[in-house]
Amino acid sequence: MTWLRKLQWLLPARRHAQERDMEAEIQSLKDIAGDDAAPVLGNLTLARENARAVWGWNWLAGLSADVRYALRTLAKDRAFTAIAISSLALGIGANAAIFSVIDALLLHSLPVRDPASLVELDGSDSSYFIYNRFLASSGRVFSGMLARMSDARDIDCGGGPVRGNVEVVTGSYFPTLGVRAWIGRTIGPNDDNRANPAQVAVISYGLWQHRFGGDASAIGRTIRVQRVPFAVIGVAPPEFFGVVVGEAPEVWLPLSSMNSVYPGRNWLDEPGMNFLELMGRLRPGVTMERASALLTPVLVQAELDRVGNVSEPVRAEIRRSKADLAPAATGISFLRYRFSKPLHIVFAMVAMALLLACVNLINLQAARVRERRKELAVRLAIGASRLRVARQVFTESALLALAGGALGLLMCRPVGQALLVLMSPGDALSLRLDVNSQVLAFVAGLSSAAAVLFGVGPAWRSTRGEILPAIQQGFGSAKALPATRLFGRALASLQVALSLVLVAGATLFATSLYKLLHVDLGLNRAHLLVLDVNPTDAGYQGDQAAALNRRIAVRLAPLPGVESVSFSSNGVFTGRNMDRDVEPVGQPKPSDPFAWVDKVGPRYFSTIGAHLTAGRDFDERDDAAGPKVMIVNERFARFYFAGQNPIGRTVAVGEFSKEPKIIRQIIGVVKDMRIEGSHQQPPRYFYVPAFQSPEMPFSTRFLIRTIGDPHGMIGSIRAAVRAEDPALSIDSLDTAEDLLDRAIGHDRLIAVLSGAFGVLALLLAAIGIYGLLSYEVARRTGEVGIRIALGARRSDILRLVLTEIAFLAVTGVAVGGIAALAAAKLVAGLVFGLQPNNPVVLAGSAVVLIGVALSAGFCPARRAARLDPMVALRQE
Amino acid sequence: MAQRTELLQGTLDMLVLRTLLCGPLHGYGIAKSIQQVSNDSLQIEFGSLYPALKRLELKGWIASRWETSERNRRARFYRLTAAGRKQLVREQSKWQSLIDAIARVMQSDPARGES
Repeated sequence: MTWLRKLQWLLPARRHAQERDMEAEIQSLKDIAGDDAAPVLGNLTLARENARAVWGWNWLAGLSADVRYALRTLAKDRAFTAIAISSLALGIGANAAIFSVIDALLLHSLPVRDPASLVELDGSDSSYFIYNRFLASSGRVFSGMLARMSDARDIDCGGGPVRGNVEVVTGSYFPTLGVRAWIGRTIGPNDDNRANPAQVAVISYGLWQHRFGGDASAIGRTIRVQRVPFAVIGVAPPEFFGVVVGEAPEVWLPLSSMNSVYPGRNWLDEPGMNFLELMGRLRPGVTMERASALLTPVLVQAELDRVGNVSEPVRAEIRRSKADLAPAATGISFLRYRFSKPLHIVFAMVAMALLLACVNLINLQAARVRERRKELAVRLAIGASRLRVARQVFTESALLALAGGALGLLMCRPVGQALLVLMSPGDALSLRLDVNSQVLAFVAGLSSAAAVLFGVGPAWRSTRGEILPAIQQGFGSAKALPATRLFGRALASLQVALSLVLVAGATLFATSLYKLLHVDLGLNRAHLLVLDVNPTDAGYQGDQAAALNRRIAVRLAPLPGVESVSFSSNGVFTGRNMDRDVEPVGQPKPSDPFAWVDKVGPRYFSTIGAHLTAGRDFDERDDAAGPKVMIVNERFARFYFAGQNPIGRTVAVGEFSKEPKIIRQIIGVVKDMRIEGSHQQPPRYFYVPAFQSPEMPFSTRFLIRTIGDPHGMIGSIRAAVRAEDPALSIDSLDTAEDLLDRAIGHDRLIAVLSGAFGVLALLLAAIGIYGLLSYEVARRTGEVGIRIALGARRSDILRLVLTEIAFLAVTGVAVGGIAALAAAKLVAGLVFGLQPNNPVVLAGSAVVLIGVALSAGFCPARRAARLDPMVALRQE
Repeated sequence: MAQRTELLQGTLDMLVLRTLLCGPLHGYGIAKSIQQVSNDSLQIEFGSLYPALKRLELKGWIASRWETSERNRRARFYRLTAAGRKQLVREQSKWQSLIDAIARVMQSDPARGES
């Protein structure tokens, strides 16, 4: 228990009491000893010191003295302290923020039983048909399987409908995950019954708190989803947010009851409708590879049975498909695919920026230590141990790192939230960015690493060298050790190298973003609104829905500010797509029969500003009674009608729901469009008139070309839709620009952040080079004075100093260039429209850096050139 | 005056415990007592005695409190605790076996026999 007693001395009160007691005791003994005191009592100061050592707070007293001393020196040197703390806070904060996003998005395990054994079927979604086939044959590898889908629905807990995320799940969902109800019970296999679907719901803890005040009587109450009543049977635990990262379902419903909340749709019985994500729990000892090998033939057979009678190339394609599994311990994440690599790249960049800031602090600290050389030498001379002096210098660095880390931690959450907005503008991501123990440990580790990085070197060097010359000469002309000078130059070159990598990266990503923003999309995205209306949810089906679409278009067209209106299934930049198999009549069977399709209303192409290279746009003639027609894009025309004029040719088009193929005549060719966003290479695409194709149970996307600012039109458009039918729900209403922005969220993330850190890197490198050269010039005052006295011209001196800078910069650029080329391989696939190792980008960045280095060094160089030789020599 | 002898490392604690066996003493008294009993050959400097007292106190082998001395002066008196007594026995037997061993080694060498 000795350590416990020692700990008590951490309390100042105990310490002071002990101190007083000791003084009293020594005084009393002095009195008792009388004249005898001096020889017998001996060195009382030593006695006190040794006694303190016994109590164990010598180190503490030393520490507190160090801290007070460091605080005093830091307070005196405000500019340095401010630069140091703010650059550390920025660096650590940015690192912590990105780490917390990565943690939430990529690393955080689901709060379920044994998450490590969960796997997801990788790649695309599956149909209910495929799920059932898997379920029947996966028993040897999976101890459980689940399927789920989620979407925004109207949830009414008694206070009117509110849009919220609803997840429909198989009865195996909760048991397989091992998630128990907070209160009540979860959805079980008996609830998920196709013959007799149970109208029951599990609600989220959040919904329970907000809508039911956390009252247990919520169990048994009725909520309505899409106006359909469901009985609440349980509340999910507070930490459970479903299995998809970034989503937070408020209600869970049995899959079997999904038809009631998705009226007019019967996806469960549609074998080709891929809408479910599948997950499985591996049996103990079963590897993912084995499970995949067992499931692949099941998948192939199911797909072959599903498609029925198709051409041999298609069957061959299906036989090549594989049931790929991926670990799902951290949940299913659509964001992960998009953001994993960009986030890691940004992470590497901010880590480099932090390293750069640390290198700068090494230089600054070293310069401060040199200034205090005389003071430190005096301390050493009067008996301080070298370790003690080094500790004092290190305490300063540690305090700076501590302050930087604390501020960085404060920045972590707001910066993380800002990152999420940057990643996905307009779309609120439900990601919990906790400052959890991982983030705390990360920040603590980072701060300690920073303290060691920029603190140990200067602290160690502070005690090197002879004491006497330092005291005699002071700072001005103290001879630097050759190793010290080399070290300083190496650091400056390292800064140039790091900056080059960051600047080259920033230029690369900025160019990439610029190209993305200015790529020819094949349509005019300015002043274009995309309105998503869901007729199916309001009960419209088939021809009713088609007629409704036409009526809404008629209502929207005369609104003031609207230039033109059309509609389609897919809209633009929404990510929805469908494909059909096509067979050009009178041509050899194509190697790939699948092409993307959209059903579009009259004047679709003129409304979105697409360019028809031949033929005409759809208009009112192309209704159900008119001849069956289609418009194809250039790639379609090239692929199926190489070299021939496609206008007037006919194509057999496979229709939805296995209806017989329809022969359509091509009436126009449209220039390729990047309909999914800037990244996409336009696929083979064809368009059919909306009224010549069976209505599908999807929402309709209206495309509205406005004359002025589209944002001002939103109110009148909503009112027009409501006037048509108040039951119609508007799923979304965005400008095409905003939708496009969302599609390039990760490009913007990298470009903005790398740009910011590129500028910061330049600034830090400039400060570093300026500081180093100022010191060099000051150190070489005498030498320069002699040169001038011997007849060197000012230009000679200027050249002397600038040559040194050029040497530093060129070394740095060479090293950085090699590093940048190596890093280029890592960012392949993330830059658009140029090669990652683009020589112009690299050369340009190198020129910028050499320019910055020379201008940072110019001031010290000119100072040297203007030296008065007499003053300089006298100083020596 | 008797010749001064250097104190062997680690024996001071044992000497303090042994001295306190006779009754409570203040710091100066302990030093004096060791000096007298050893016929002035052991001079304990307070600089090393005081930390030793604090160390023994922390270990719980001695306890102390302020008392008034025979000449009506206030001083901190140290006394042996039960744990201290046990410790003294341990140290004494350790010490005894050490000097026995040393003595055997010293006596076994004929060239250096008794003086």
